Parts: sequence; C-alpha cells; structure tokens
Amino acid sequence: MNLFQRYKKYTSIRLCAIFLLGSSPFFATAQNNNVSLFGRVIDEKTKDPLAGAVIHIKGTTHEVIADQNGEFKFITGQHVPVVYIVSFVGYKTREIPISSYGHAEIDLQGGNAVLNEVVVVGYGTQRKSDITGSVGTVSKNLLSRPAASFDNLLQGAVAGVTVTQSSGQPGATSNIRIRGGNSLSFGNDPLYVIDGFIYYNDNSLTNLAPAAGTAVTGVSTNALASINPADIETIDVLKDASATAIYGSRGANGVVIITTKKGTRSSNNISYSPSYSVQQPGKKLSVLNGPQWARLFDDLYAATPGIQAGLASNKKIIDSLGAAGVSGDWPGAAIRTGHIQNHQLSIYGGDEKSRYSISGNYFKQDGLLRATDYNRFSARLNYERNFSSRLKIATSIFGSSSTEDKLTGAAYNGINFSNAFSSLYIANPLQTVRNADGTYNTKLQAAVNPTINTISGQQFSDNPLQDIVTTTNQAKLTRILGNFSAEYKLLDQLTLKTTFGTDLLNTKLNYYAPSYTAAGNNSGSITGSGSIGTIAYTGWLNENTLTYDQAFHNAHFLNILAGYTTQYQKSENTFLAGQSFPSDALSYNNLYLATVNKVAGSGEARQTWNSWLGRVSYSYEHKYNITLTGRADGASPTGANKKWGFFPSVGVSWNVSEEGFFSKYDKVVNSLKLRLTAGRVGNANFPAYSSVATINSNGYYFGNPLAGVNGLSPSQLSNPDLTWETTTQYNAGVDAGLLKKRINLTVDVYYKKTTNLYITGGGLIPLSTGYSTAAENIGSLENKGIEFSLNTENIVSKDFIWKTTIIYAANANKVLSLGPSQSFQPVAPTGQVSPVIVKVGLPVGTFWGYRTDGLLTTSDVYGAKSAALLSGVSQVTGDRKYLHAPGNTGAAITTNDKQNLGNAQPKFTLSISNTFTYKDFDLSVFLQGSFGNKIFNLLQQQLEKTTTTTNVSSVLLDRWDSVANPRGKFPKVVNAPVVQVQDTYIEDGSYLRLKNITLGYNVPVAIASKLRAKQIRVYFSAQNLFTITHYKGLDPEVNFYDQNNLQPGIDYGVYPNNKTFQTGLNITF
Amino acid sequence: MKKKLIIPIILGTSFLFACNKLTEVPKGSLTTDNFYQTQADAIAAVTAVYSTMSTDINNDFPIYGRNLNLIVDNPSDNQVYSPSNTNPDVRALGTATYVSTNDRVHKIYAQLYWGINKANIAIDKIPLIPAAQFIDVTHSAANLVREARFIRALYYFDLVRLFGAVPLVLHDPATLSNANVLVGRTSVDSVYQQIITDLDSAVSLPASYTGTNIGRVTGGAAHALLAKVYVTRRDWGSAVTELRKTITAGTANLTDATTGNYGYDLFPKFSDAFQAATKNGKEHIFSAQFNGTAGGFTSTNTLSSFTWSNSAYTADIPADSTIVVNLFDVADQRRGATFYDSLFNQTTQQWVKWPFFNFLKFVDQSTGFTTALAGNQGANSKINFPVIRYAEVLLLYAEALNELNGGPTPDAYAAINIVRGRAYGSYISNGNYGNNTYNVSAGLNQSDFRDSVFNERRREFIQESQRWFDLVRRGDKGPGQYYLNAVHSMYKNPKVAASLKDTLFPIPQTEIDLYGGRNPNFQQNPGW
Repeated sequence: MNLFQRYKKYTSIRLCAIFLLGSSPFFATAQNNNVSLFGRVIDEKTKDPLAGAVIHIKGTTHEVIADQNGEFKFITGQHVPVVYIVSFVGYKTREIPISSYGHAEIDLQGGNAVLNEVVVVGYGTQRKSDITGSVGTVSKNLLSRPAASFDNLLQGAVAGVTVTQSSGQPGATSNIRIRGGNSLSFGNDPLYVIDGFIYYNDNSLTNLAPAAGTAVTGVSTNALASINPADIETIDVLKDASATAIYGSRGANGVVIITTKKGTRSSNNISYSPSYSVQQPGKKLSVLNGPQWARLFDDLYAATPGIQAGLASNKKIIDSLGAAGVSGDWPGAAIRTGHIQNHQLSIYGGDEKSRYSISGNYFKQDGLLRATDYNRFSARLNYERNFSSRLKIATSIFGSSSTEDKLTGAAYNGINFSNAFSSLYIANPLQTVRNADGTYNTKLQAAVNPTINTISGQQFSDNPLQDIVTTTNQAKLTRILGNFSAEYKLLDQLTLKTTFGTDLLNTKLNYYAPSYTAAGNNSGSITGSGSIGTIAYTGWLNENTLTYDQAFHNAHFLNILAGYTTQYQKSENTFLAGQSFPSDALSYNNLYLATVNKVAGSGEARQTWNSWLGRVSYSYEHKYNITLTGRADGASPTGANKKWGFFPSVGVSWNVSEEGFFSKYDKVVNSLKLRLTAGRVGNANFPAYSSVATINSNGYYFGNPLAGVNGLSPSQLSNPDLTWETTTQYNAGVDAGLLKKRINLTVDVYYKKTTNLYITGGGLIPLSTGYSTAAENIGSLENKGIEFSLNTENIVSKDFIWKTTIIYAANANKVLSLGPSQSFQPVAPTGQVSPVIVKVGLPVGTFWGYRTDGLLTTSDVYGAKSAALLSGVSQVTGDRKYLHAPGNTGAAITTNDKQNLGNAQPKFTLSISNTFTYKDFDLSVFLQGSFGNKIFNLLQQQLEKTTTTTNVSSVLLDRWDSVANPRGKFPKVVNAPVVQVQDTYIEDGSYLRLKNITLGYNVPVAIASKLRAKQIRVYFSAQNLFTITHYKGLDPEVNFYDQNNLQPGIDYGVYPNNKTFQTGLNITF
Repeated sequence: MKKKLIIPIILGTSFLFACNKLTEVPKGSLTTDNFYQTQADAIAAVTAVYSTMSTDINNDFPIYGRNLNLIVDNPSDNQVYSPSNTNPDVRALGTATYVSTNDRVHKIYAQLYWGINKANIAIDKIPLIPAAQFIDVTHSAANLVREARFIRALYYFDLVRLFGAVPLVLHDPATLSNANVLVGRTSVDSVYQQIITDLDSAVSLPASYTGTNIGRVTGGAAHALLAKVYVTRRDWGSAVTELRKTITAGTANLTDATTGNYGYDLFPKFSDAFQAATKNGKEHIFSAQFNGTAGGFTSTNTLSSFTWSNSAYTADIPADSTIVVNLFDVADQRRGATFYDSLFNQTTQQWVKWPFFNFLKFVDQSTGFTTALAGNQGANSKINFPVIRYAEVLLLYAEALNELNGGPTPDAYAAINIVRGRAYGSYISNGNYGNNTYNVSAGLNQSDFRDSVFNERRREFIQESQRWFDLVRRGDKGPGQYYLNAVHSMYKNPKVAASLKDTLFPIPQTEIDLYGGRNPNFQQNPGW
C-alpha cells in the first residue's frame, strides 16, 4: 500500500516536473521542500466532476478551486495529516481528513441537484442555476425512441420546437421550426452544432433542381438522416436571444446542440442493440371501383355533348367492363408491409486520462410502398485524452454511407403529380393491375384511355405501378464529419481552445425510367429517360476561444469567453441527362448512349463566414446572474456594403429560492428562478451570390436550318445592400420546483420581431424593371408565444415510479409589413392556382380562396333571388355555390372574392409523456398533437376533378343529379372542371397521436451477470398506434412543400405514414 | 518544451484561417461586372433580347408561344377557351370577366418588360465596349443596338396598345434602390414617340441576312412595323410612306411607285406561311423563331398544343365553330389551313371526325400530323410565329390609302385583292394572281371599304394576335364601339360582361399595390 502510494506520488511529481520545465518560478517552489496535495471532486451519484468546488485546508488560508475536470492541487508547506473543507454551492460541505499524499477522490452529496445540472450552451457549458436564457433539453426517454433520423426525435420533445415530417418515406426530410418561422425566404431551420461543429442543414446539398424534360423529382433527401441517431448522447435546444446570440447571424432560428456519446471514465463496455420493426399502413383513401367509375363515365358522357361523338364506341366497352365488375385496386397493390432493422454496436469506456467511444451502425428500411428503401452504414470514433493537467486533445470522426430509393415524380395522364403514389389514386380502375399470369397489365384496355385508342394510331403501354417499381430514383449520400480540438490551460483560469473540423458530403443521384414507363416513353416519343447528378460538398470550420473562469470567495462567479471563428463551405454539382437509349439494360450507367435531349450542366457555390464572439457571465452566489453576449459576423452571401453585422444580447436571472427570506415557502416551493432576456440575432442563410447580378443563359435560334445560339443576360438585380434579417427577441421565464421538487415547471413567454426580411417573392419590385423578383431586405413579421413544460413525479415508491412530462407551446405568427407591397402569392405549379398568400396582417401560410355554400339550386341560377355566379365558367344548377368576399357585391364571383380560409400554423402544440417503472419493467407512453392548424387537401381537390380517363374520390358517389340524387352534396359532374381553391378543401388539421408506446424489461443484474452482461434490456414499442383527427386525408402530419416556408400544410398526396411495431434488445458487456 | 511548442501551434492554426475572404466572386456564372467586354458578349446580349420572344423565365407560355395570343384573341370574337381548359384565369379572358389580378394579364406585362429590360441592357452596354472589339463586320455595334431597339419598340407597341400609358423604362436599374425602380406612367404619346425613334434607327439595318443570321431584324421589318405603328396612330400619310418603302418595287396591279427592295412576296399557298419547311421565307418580314426542344434550348410554340389522353379538345378553340369557320367560304384556302375537324387514324385506317373545329395554323404538320397522331404532338411545335408578314403590309396599305384619300384608291383595291387572290389559290408572284372572281366589290365608299379591310384582316390573321387590337383601335363608330358591337353580337353572348373599360387591360394589381400611396400618379386604368 505504502509502496503504491509512493509510486503514485513519484509519478505525479515527475509528470509535473516535466510539464513545468522551463517554468522556473514554479519549479523553484517545488524544490523548496513543498509538497503537492491533489485530488478530484466529483458528484457522489453521477461521478461527474464538480468544477468550481472550493477546497480549503482547515486552519490555514490555503484555498484552491477545482478546475473543469474537478481536479485540484495544492503546492504547500503543509504536511499530512490535514483536513480539507470541501464546499460547493448546492452540495453539503464536507470535512475530510487526509492522512497520506497522493490523489484524493472526494465525492460530494448533492443537496440541490437542479442547481448543479450543467447545460450545454454555445462554446461551453453553464451551471443550470446561472443560466439566463431559455434552453430546452430532450429527455433521455424521448431520445431512446427508434428513429431513422434524429430530427424525428425532436418532435414533441422540447417546448417551442415543432417538427413536421414532409413525408412518411424512408429518409424523408422534416420541417423544423423553433418558436415559429422568422423568415419568409430562407433559413428558417435551426442551426445544428454537432460536437462543436456548426452545421446548417441545407437540403439543396443533397438535391438538384431538375433539368428540363428529365426531372429527377420526388421528395427531397434528408441530409440530417446521414447522422446516426443512436450515437447521440444529448440534444439541447437554445431558444432565446441570450442563449443563441453567441451564434450571432446563424442563431436566429434557434440552435440545436448535439453531443455524441463519449464513453465513461470508469470502465470499458461493449454494447449491442439490435431492433426489428414492422410497418403497417395507417389509413387508405377511398376511390371509385371499376363499376362505380363506369357509371361516373356515363354521367360525364351525358353531361358533355361535345365529347360524345369521340367517345361513343368507348362508352360501350366501358359499360360492358363495368357490368362485368372489372376493378383494379391500384393504391392497394403498391402497399406492402414495411420492415426496419437496426443494429448498433458500441464500444466505449475510458480511464483517468481518456475517454473513447467507437460505434458502428447498420440501418435498413424497406418502405411501406414498393420500391422505396433506405439503408445506412455508419461508424463513429470519439476519443479524448488529457495529456496533462493542462492539455486536453479530443477528436471525433464520423462516417456514413446511405442509399435512398425514392418514389419518382412522374406525371400521369397529364396531371402533374409530384408523387407517383398519388398517381395510383387516379389510375383508372377499369384497368387491372396485373394480368391473370401475375405480370403487370401494361396493355391499355380499350376503354381505359378511350381517346388514345380511337384517335391515336399509337398504343403505348402504361401501368403506373410498374412505373413505380421499375423506375430508379436513388440518392446515395456519403458523409464524413471529422473534428479535432485541443484545449490548453494557459493559466488555471484561462483556457485556450482550438477546434478544426471538416464536413465532407457527397451526393450521387441516379434516375432511370425504362422505355416502357410513362416517363420513359413520353407518349411514344422516346425510349427511356435517364439522368445522374452529383453534389460534392466540403465545409471546414476553425474556432478559437479563450475562456476565463474564476470564482472569488465562492460568491462571485465570472466566466468570460472570447473567440474568433472562420468557416468555409463549397459545393460543386454536375448534372447529366439524356433520353432514348438503345436498351434499358444499362439503366443510368451509360448516358452517352442517349440519342436525344442530352443535357449537361455544372455549378458551384461557396460561402465564407468569419466571426468574433464574446460572452461575459457573472453570478453572485448563484442568486443573481447576468450574461452579456455579442457576436460580430461577416458573411459572404450578404451584399458588398453590408458584410458585417453585430448581434448583442443581455440576460438576467434571479434564483429567488436562494434568498434567505424564501425558506418559509420551502415546504411548497423548493426552487424558483426568474429569467429575463433581450437580444438581437441575425439570419443570412440565403444562397451564395444572392446579391450579385449574375448572368444567365437565354438561348435563341437563328439561321436556316435553325441553330441554337447562346444569349446571356442578368437574371437578377444586384443588391450591394443585401443584409441580415434581424430578429429582436424578448423572453421572460420562470423555473419552479414544487413539493420537494416532485413538480418542476418551466414557463416562458416571448416576443420576436424580424425585420429586414429577405424576400424574393413576386410583386415586390415593379415588373417594369424587367425583373420579376429581387433579393431585398424588406418587410417584417412577428412571432409571439408561450411555452410550458411540466415534469412531475406522480408516484415515487420503492418498486413503482410514475413520471409525467407535459409540454405545451403556442405561437402566433403575423406578417407586419412587406415593404411596398401588401401581399403576394408564391408561384404555383403550372396549371394550378396558388392556395396560399403572404399578406400583411395575416400569418404566413394563410390559405386564400373562395368560400362556398353547398350547391346552386334552380332558383339560385334562374330564380328571382339569383346567386352570384363564378366568372369564367358557365355555372348551372347543381354546381358549387361560391360566395362573395365580405363587402363585395355583384352578379359575378371573381378572384377579388378570394378570402382568408385559415392558416397552416397550429394554435398550439402539445405533448404528454408518461413513464412508469415497476421493478424491472418500464413503460413509456408518448402522445403528441397539434391543434388549430388547417390543411389544404390538394390531393382531394385533384381527386374531385372528373375526367373521362382518371379515377376520383368515392365522395363523388354523392354527386348531384337532378333525378337520381337531387340532394347530393357534391357538384354535378362535368368533364375536366375548373378546380378552385375553396373552403371545402381546407380542413382542420388538428390531431392527437400516440406517437410511441414502449414496454421495456431490464433483466435483473443477477441473471444478466450469469451471461457475463452488465445490463440486458428488451423492449417492445409501437409508433403511431392511433391518431385522433378530423382530417379526411391520409395523414394530418403533412407538408408537401417541405422546407418551403411559404407553403406549409399542403397535402399533395405524400407517402403514407404508418404504424410501426418494434422489438429490440440492448445488451451491455 | 512541450508548452513552448503547443502555444505557437494553437495560435498558428488560429491565425492560419483568419484571412478567409468574404467577397463573392461566382465561378459558375458570369456577372455584370465581368461581362459586356467583347463583341461576343455584345452578340450574346442581343441574342438574349431575341430569346424573350420564344422563352419564358418560368417556363410558362412565351410571349409568341401562346401568351400574347391568349390576351389578344381570347377576349376577341375569334377564339375561346375549350371545355378542357381548366385555368380559371384563361377562362375569365374568354368571358370578359377577368380582373386586375388575372394571372395571364400579369404575365404578359411581366414578359414584355422582361424583354424590354434585356433590350435596355444591350442598348446601354454595347456602346461602352471598345470599338476595336468589333471585328466581325456582320455584327457592328451600331447594328446590334438597332436590333435591340427594334424589339424594344415592338414590346412597347404591345404594351401601349394593351395598357395605355405605361412606365417608359429605357435603362436597366442594375441595382436595387427604390429611386430608380418606381417609375410612373408615361403618356401614350411619349411612349409612341420612343417607339418611332427606336424604329427609325432600326430602318438602317441590313435588308436581308444569309446563313446563320437569318431571323434577325431587317430594315424592312422596321419599316413595316413603323407603318403599323402609324396606322394605329392614324397617321395615314406617314404610314403610306413607310409602306411604300416596304412593298416590293414593281408589284403588279399597283399604280403608285413602291420602292421596297427587300424582296417580300406572298407564298402562293397560304398554309406555307405556317410551316416548318417554309419558315423565314419571302412572306415573313419578322418572325419569332421556334425550334421545339431540339438543339439545346426549349422554345416551344404551344399555340396548338393538345393532349389526346385527357380529352378530345385542344386548349383554345374557335369562338363558335360554325360562325367563325363560316367567315370563310369553301373556296377560301385559308379555311382549310386555319381549322380542322378530322384526323386520320393510322391503326384503324379511318378518319376520325370531331363534332367541333380546332385551330390548325400552328400545328406542326411536318411530324405526320394528318396521318398519325401520337400523344401530344402540338406541344413540340416548331412553327415560327409571324410577328409581321407581307400580307399584313398589303392590308395596311389598303387601309391607309382608304383613310388618307377619303375612300379607296385603285391601289387600295389592288392591295386587298392581291391578298384575296392568294387566299383563293390563284396567286402567282409579285402581285400577280389569276382569278379576279373574288375581288372586293368595286365602288365601295370609305366606310364599306374599311369594313372589307377589317373583315379581311380577321380572316387572314386568326390566331395571330391581331383581332383584339383591331377591334379596339377602330374608332369610326365611337371609341370602343366596334369592339363592343363585335363581342356582344357573338352567338350565345358569352362576353355579355364586356364594357368600355375592356378596351384597355388593367395594370396588374401587384403594380398598383406596389406603388401604394407612394406615387399617387400611378393610377389604375379607368373602370378597373
């Protein structure tokens, strides 16, 4: 024993000597018969180091403070035995007799755990007690949910964070908003900071704009999904200006800080976690079957004299097919049972000096729809080592490779459906999906597309399900994130930290539509259509910070941070496409063989960001806290005159419960903290070269024969004054712990006003300039809201624990000004009318269309009290009755009668999670909901459009007919009616969904140890088990336009959401 | 030792990256800062001006690919949306119920200024390029500017006729600042003044081009357009002067000397004016060039596009098939070249007959249209759009002479009869035609002859973006009355809502909103 201690002592002195060599004053002292007393202060339960703990040698004036790793050291003339008095705010002060030299591990018992919780903030951590800003943390329970991508884990997990999946497709993107959208144009997504590496998720890095005629479309690929969620240790969300201002111009939309698993100091572990899931469709839409459609055709035929001559012979065939009961179930044929398997192997651990974590992951999902798959391989290495008491080196390397097979965006029957699944709903039910022998029925039945068969000489085969299955539409992502950091203590209180990280993201997009598909045939004009695209993205970041951390007399706590960061991002893309191939066999792999419409393109974009940052946090006795933050940002995408911006914030907080007078309330209220912050943050996440007048190609033909000649002209006005969107935020919050901390409540109210909105929408500069859009800083909008999170420990007994978390957030958004304009409507797909408007006084995402009042009666149309009729169409009895906008009169309903039909933003969102633990069993139930939001059911609008070839929704069984159904609720059918944006398609999108229910069993240690395992857990979980909603579409969690800020809540027929049943195992050795 | 190393290393890396520059220099696209420096740049700038005729910035219908047709023919008595057309804004044009937020009206206004801006850029920038750069003599700086000025005049001519007083923007705003973009409306007279100035400069362009330059603006095109401007302005004397410079010297049947040396003549066969094989022929004074999707650029004439799989209709059809088609007697070749109601089905070897007529002029028959129909043949039409063709010059001559002299002169008769002679299939060349049976009756007074000219224009130019202009410019029955009589007398009165305000289109509502209270002089057109 003695020998061992002596050895340790010797070692430490030697190490110390080496490190202090050349630092003569210290070295001299060491020679002066002084001894070294050292050790570490940790939390008794968590074993986390307690930075800032005060170690005092009893009876002397010697006092030191534990460093960030909890380590302390005296170099003193005092010899053992001595008594340490170790104190730390929130912990019970201990007196510890020390009788020998060497390392002393001192654990303190937490008196006030909340006070000592450390929260990750930008460029460091802060004691929760001293925090002034609004910071939310995703609970461990919710983090352990199974998910393909970590953005899914944020849903309902933090008050004020809303997550809307754009699609249920494997690998699809999500729309994430923290406290509402601040911007109209770009950059409403939060900033992600993954192990200190700043990362703005831009899905344009993984998606290319389609080239004319050879579109690679479908839902976009989620760059975030390349990160393995199982590697994540914690997710913290910075919400208000005091918290985010340290990220300055990149923090306006909130910051999501992700820390990956680093390993533990104490032991080495191997953990293996496999899981397996089965997915079932949640809901199906009802469309007409074959005989029903045949009757609809008859009505159309009768209602439209103009088409009768052309379709007379087909009517006979259609009627006979209908009578024979021929009926193809197209959507049903495309759906299968989905499967997900996930394997995670982690090796982690560490010793006194280092921590490491190595993990590998394999994720594979066979989607609910045929030919949609997602798989990902990934590996991570996290390593950190304290080379000395002063130098710490850490590295983090992550690599992943994923492949996503997506649905294609084929147009079908001239209707531009961007999701091929939707095209299955309009596929004609008188065509069967398969032939009797099981092969695809590619031969158009005579009646299915009558006009083609009678008029056209050509029959090209068409089977939309075969199109989906045989068309390749693939995105392959390879990502390497590497991060290196060195931390050096210049003084005990002064730390220099340098980080260097790179993000390499390579995307390859493959598309091929074989010659027998609709897209690969294009009405017989081509044989096969293929394209490929690549995007190579390189980003690097260098950050240098100096942190000064000092406590004076265990009462004044000062932390000063200063730093300089620089970041560079470059993306380069190429695109090749062609059509008409000699064979389908080579797919997209030899585009050179294309004979027509060869297209090639390339492009690049670069961005640079330089920043100076600083923060001063001061706390007096952890009672009164103030944080001042400032960041100066220089960003290349801003205009030449406005490169730099400054973003300051101030936050104060008061721990009322630390005051002496508070003790009388102690029985009810155990902790109470008031927070108040104000600040300004910026957003410049707009595309590179936004402010530059770039020259674009405008080709024309001259000569005989005509030959293409390139023309060049500016595509946008330059704007040297293009600058940051600036969001000014105010936040007030209360954190309270009640009834022995069994109830913890956090309430925040906030107001945010964004000015200098970057807008490129139409109607903002005069058309007479010759430019329809310009990148301009005009307009403003506001978000205000309130957030509650309530954590309760309802029952805590020896065997049974029941905890509840309720999260509620309400946000109200309003456009305050649009500069010179009052409103504009985003560009709609050709042939469609934009259903949304951006208008002063209304929230972003307001639906704009007609109100209706049932159907027109005979007296409406011909009677004395005649109703106003919609202009542009000849309305008759049985047509939809449209109403004037309030205040308008006249015989015609015109586009001036369009009005506010509600908006896509929820009035509030709510989530409730309950966890129950009984002995070795645990059960968690997670409900999540959105309330008061409207959805524009664009798919339903298209499914109520009757034509002589396409199928329609079953609701049209109740179509008005003067004889057969005079009380019908849906208009009388006509061929290819004009569809309107009207209130019947605007539906209540509120829902409450059982997102997750998990039952777990921890195998008792006694049994586990027989298997030589430290821990074994098995669990069963189900997701989306039920949904309470009035929404008639497939899924109220819908957002067809993805990251587009202006067109939220539009359901254009997305990939169906699903119910997932999962079983999994965690085993740790 | 280590300490000494570590700090410099850390500080070194810190400052290594401190010189990351914030200035933006795109490597994938040119910018206005580094462009407009060579002759090639100048040519490319002018090509971009031309391209605005046949392309749209959002891949919508280009000006001459359908959009101008929707604006000028659908509100007239010639054309209407078909039952298969489901665009409410297009339908509203056909029922005279369009409002100032109409998408098509907005689009044509935007497209014309889009083109004007590209012309302004070329006109401003080309003179700044050093003269020594202009080595290729076929594209002198002066001529490139003249070509741009012609197209600018052409677009302002459309704007002023559609909207009346419009902002007269003659320079690229270049950068965004409200001072130079909120331009007020300029009087109709001033806009015409600029149009005439631009066209006057363009008359000195070459008379013709060869090889790869065919399709560019000629001096003859400038004279012809100038004549049309003067006719619209009722400046009959100036119109006649310009027309005589355009009409080929020595044209048969004309007694007064014409001096045109451009070689213009009519095709003996009317339908040749609209075929891919005969594009840029002797009758075509100036055309918007379309080449489908072949050759790298998309320039598609969608005037007659149709998709058989959805319904049997094209997008736009004659306003009333029997009445509009019966404007032509059976011997009139233009009837068969303008409409069709039956097609041959190769598979069944039978003709399929529709119960209605469709437009044929811009259907690309070179793709085997009449014998084999594939899915959407019309969508890839390569038919040029004739902005101004020789037949119009002859009809303008007839009109101007009738107005100038208080009644038809022999040359006025000759000019219209040459056009009719060709219509009835007896045209030979150079004004000679064999069959006088179809000549306009002799001895008409000024008013009756005017009716004859306008009726002839209607038959000749169906679908060529002329009819609404003709209806509203004719003022002899009182302002706008000719238009109102025409559309109100249509079968089943589909345009009952038409009123005098419809003789000008509304300024797009976005423009009115934009100016808000900041420029009180920027008012909407009367009645809107």
